Amino acid sequence: MRIGDFHASYRHDEALFDTRAQRVWLGLLLAALAAFPFVGGSYLTYLACLLGIHLIAAAGLNVMTGYTGLISLGHAAFMGVGCYAVAVAERAGIPFFLALPLAGAASAAIGLVVGIPSLRIKGLYFAVATLAAQFVLGFVFREWESVTGGVRGANVPAASLFGFELAGDRRVYFLIAPLAVLMLLGARNLFRTRVGRAFIAIRDRDISAEVLGISLFRYKLAAFAIGSFYAGVAGGLWGYFFRVATPELFGLPLSVFYLAAIIVGGLGSILGTILGATFMTLIPEFLRALVGWAEAFGLEQAGVYLAPLRQVVFGLLIVGFLVFEPHGLAEMWRRTRRFFHLWPFRT
Amino acid sequence: MTPIDRRRFLGSGAAAAGLASLGLPLRSALAQSGEIVIGAAPPITGVFAFAGAGLHAGLGDWVEWKNGQGGIAGRKLRYVAEDSSYKVDQSVAIFKKIVAQYKPPLFYGDSTGWAKAIAPELSQLGSVLATGPSFASDLADPAKAPYYFMPGPTYSGQIEVLLEYVSRSAAGAAKPAVAFVYSDTEFGRDPIASGKAKAAKLGIPVVLEVVTKPGAVDVSAEVIKLRRAKPDFVIFHGYVLAPIPEFMRQMRDAGMNARGMGTIYTMDKTTIDQMGAAGAGFLGVMPYRYSFDTEKTPTMALIREVGSRKPNNPWQTTFYTQGWLVGMIFEQVLGRTLGAKKELTGPNMKAALESIGKWDTGGIFGVPIALKTHSIPVGRVYLVKGSTIVPNSDWITIG
Amino acid sequence: MSGAIDWLLLAEFSLVGLLSGGVLALIALGFVLVYKGTRVINFALGEFMMVGAYLFWTANVFLALPWWAALALTLAGVAALGALVERFVLRPLAGQPVISIVMATIGLGAVLHGLAEAVWGGANLSLPELLPRKPLLLGEILLPGQVLWSFALAVALIAAFTAYFRWSKDGVSMRAAASDPVTAYAMGIDVRRTQRLTWMFAGVTGAVAGIIVASMTSLSPSLGTVALGVLAVVILGGLDSIAGAIVAGLIVGLLESLTVAFVGGQARDLVPYLVVLVILMVRPYGLFGTRDIERL
Repeated sequence: MRIGDFHASYRHDEALFDTRAQRVWLGLLLAALAAFPFVGGSYLTYLACLLGIHLIAAAGLNVMTGYTGLISLGHAAFMGVGCYAVAVAERAGIPFFLALPLAGAASAAIGLVVGIPSLRIKGLYFAVATLAAQFVLGFVFREWESVTGGVRGANVPAASLFGFELAGDRRVYFLIAPLAVLMLLGARNLFRTRVGRAFIAIRDRDISAEVLGISLFRYKLAAFAIGSFYAGVAGGLWGYFFRVATPELFGLPLSVFYLAAIIVGGLGSILGTILGATFMTLIPEFLRALVGWAEAFGLEQAGVYLAPLRQVVFGLLIVGFLVFEPHGLAEMWRRTRRFFHLWPFRT
Repeated sequence: MTPIDRRRFLGSGAAAAGLASLGLPLRSALAQSGEIVIGAAPPITGVFAFAGAGLHAGLGDWVEWKNGQGGIAGRKLRYVAEDSSYKVDQSVAIFKKIVAQYKPPLFYGDSTGWAKAIAPELSQLGSVLATGPSFASDLADPAKAPYYFMPGPTYSGQIEVLLEYVSRSAAGAAKPAVAFVYSDTEFGRDPIASGKAKAAKLGIPVVLEVVTKPGAVDVSAEVIKLRRAKPDFVIFHGYVLAPIPEFMRQMRDAGMNARGMGTIYTMDKTTIDQMGAAGAGFLGVMPYRYSFDTEKTPTMALIREVGSRKPNNPWQTTFYTQGWLVGMIFEQVLGRTLGAKKELTGPNMKAALESIGKWDTGGIFGVPIALKTHSIPVGRVYLVKGSTIVPNSDWITIG
Repeated sequence: MSGAIDWLLLAEFSLVGLLSGGVLALIALGFVLVYKGTRVINFALGEFMMVGAYLFWTANVFLALPWWAALALTLAGVAALGALVERFVLRPLAGQPVISIVMATIGLGAVLHGLAEAVWGGANLSLPELLPRKPLLLGEILLPGQVLWSFALAVALIAAFTAYFRWSKDGVSMRAAASDPVTAYAMGIDVRRTQRLTWMFAGVTGAVAGIIVASMTSLSPSLGTVALGVLAVVILGGLDSIAGAIVAGLIVGLLESLTVAFVGGQARDLVPYLVVLVILMVRPYGLFGTRDIERL
């Protein structure tokens, strides 16, 4: 049982990590993250990079959708904006530590434009407006050949710092992982501020929020800008990681993937973002292993069903979590934790 | 630290150790055994499954057969493949995984998207020579994509073969008019600019360009445009099947006599058969010899013999032939590199690949071929006639 | 080219476009039915279309049943599917926020898509020619037969559905339940039953549209992608207006055809989305939609 955790001051009460144990854990986690690419092997490093990008993008979507209640079916397109922005910035010789914020800013600017209808329309109508944004941006990626390279895509050079090229997964990892940690902490921190609480108020009931003096105009657009900024940075990292930007990468399926990740993880929870994105990134690996075993046990045709199986599992996870655990993995985690914290007094 | 924390610490430590150990096994075990690994991420399922299954079977059977013959330079081959479902993220992941685990010198990959996504890594690795089912024109470039080659002509090359055919079919001074119908994808747009340039060079008027989505789409409005433009030949590219049959049917309904023409991934017999009556008189370019070709050749006979040993093996398809051909090119590369007592590194294998010239494939191509350009600029135009497909031109070498 | 020919061309493209809009309107009707009845946008409608077309293919081509028997089996199948979906996915989610419902139907779409691929494979199949292909020549203007007939079929179906909602007992109770579920419940209408019926009807319209689309093009698991474009159409008409769905279907058909004629096919898919963005800026609830009035 956990005891002795008294919040003796407001500072303590508001702290991000309130117990010493948590801070120790955080330190260990950071150390593990730093050591990971050296012990994990190159394939796991690759997965970790991918996960880092997914985490940033999913955190952005959770700010918009989970915390502020603005559904976005166009998140992947905002990532695309970031990715192309990096490609263009690198062409102009801008180093990555400036190109990434630029990518975020470009994406945020587009996000502001798309967010404008949110002031007049809500719910399903707004979801369709973001869907339209997804398709319109996809069209721009395909057709604006002088900037995006059209359907052939644009190459992104490796990020380099004073002549040291961040090429190869292990080096890119040290760009992605710290940024992912920073941006997740940033998102977590946002909801200790007035802005973050305003977002939550808008989600819960926007008219009431307005009555309380929260400017819907300012805060809805702010939520959109922040979410798109995250998407833009994630897209920029995507560019440095895969070194190529093509339109079909940033289509509707990726947008849906992020929505699924935050639903499975838990809407309106940074922990949920982490759990959900991790879970959804690892599910295909797990299924692949499953099919591998099935084939090893003599079901030779199992591989043929892998792709459909992946889709079915993907859909079932979304529907299943919505119906049976609407607060997602974060809630399951909290329950498990509570069990251990209260054990053995309440089981 | 409270006891709980300690327990959690132990648990997570164990988990971390487990994760770390996942990446390590198998890696060094193989390097010593003398086996040469051929990695692959073929699209066995997904939208490209119609071809992927044959490609996978062809290359896999070739490896099996070659091992039965004693391998290459005394070393056995090992084929390690995993289905990509034609998804770029998955094929990239499979490539990384197989390269990390087995260090294969040769890799058979996936779509154009895959090839472009791993091109920087291939250059950086400098130890893997890759190929795949994509014939995208940008990829046949020894300077920009040094460790990639393709087992056939680029899409631009295929269009050139068709245009050569059109040009030669002209009876008088006036060349027949051509229309391009292509999909709004990387695949579809690939050869259009160079195709138009080639047409201009040959004096063939391009009367119309139509862009559509691939797959099941309503093409009524597009056919109106075609009807007004009055082309003699309509070149379809960037599709597999749909919407070509619907175009052909509606063009016939509208009383047009234009001939349809297709490129490699439309021209397999299995696809042509699905066109039904709409396929009658269809023309198209295919770089390889069909398995039912009336001219008997040693390699096609071998493919028939090896392929028909297994039940339900798609050995009759051109995809199987393509997979087999990839194996034969791999053999040339490995044989030439190892024969010169060189290590299997990227630059050595690239040099070996480029040294392939005047190579007789034993009948897959009707003429000797070279791989200097990292592609094989040869093709032949075939005609759909009744329930079969017959050659309708010589082997045309371009470029 | 002289001016006269341009006019002819315009007329030809416009007519073909309007006629193609018939099927779009039928798909739009599928969205509107579900939204009116249950306040849900069914993002899985495209998958309903696809499943319907596959069921029809199985019965008609694979089992070689006559077309009417195949159609009856198909409609029974999709109606059952609709009822199942309502019972096990949407009913437990009643009262949940919009995002849950949107994502539930998207997830459902993924499940249906994956199942269809597992059962029927990813390759293109072709349905037999159901509609006469003989084109109609109006002077210089040529109207393809299957476009003409699909339009006629769509009009007949939409008319039948509208009449059913207007005059039948079930139709009236569905409308009552849609406009005010609580009062309808108090008046003795079985709201759960009407919601189930709504989903069954949505499945049926989707399946019919799917069969028409598949017979005009070809059948593959991605058949349903047509529906997403139509969703934009529905927003244009207003989510709860049948008249709006019809008008919007025709307008988008027209605009798509004119885009192909004068801009190019690459912009075709963009048209409904651009239109919807503009409309949402100007008239947020569509052309005919009901404006929600919110109170605290």
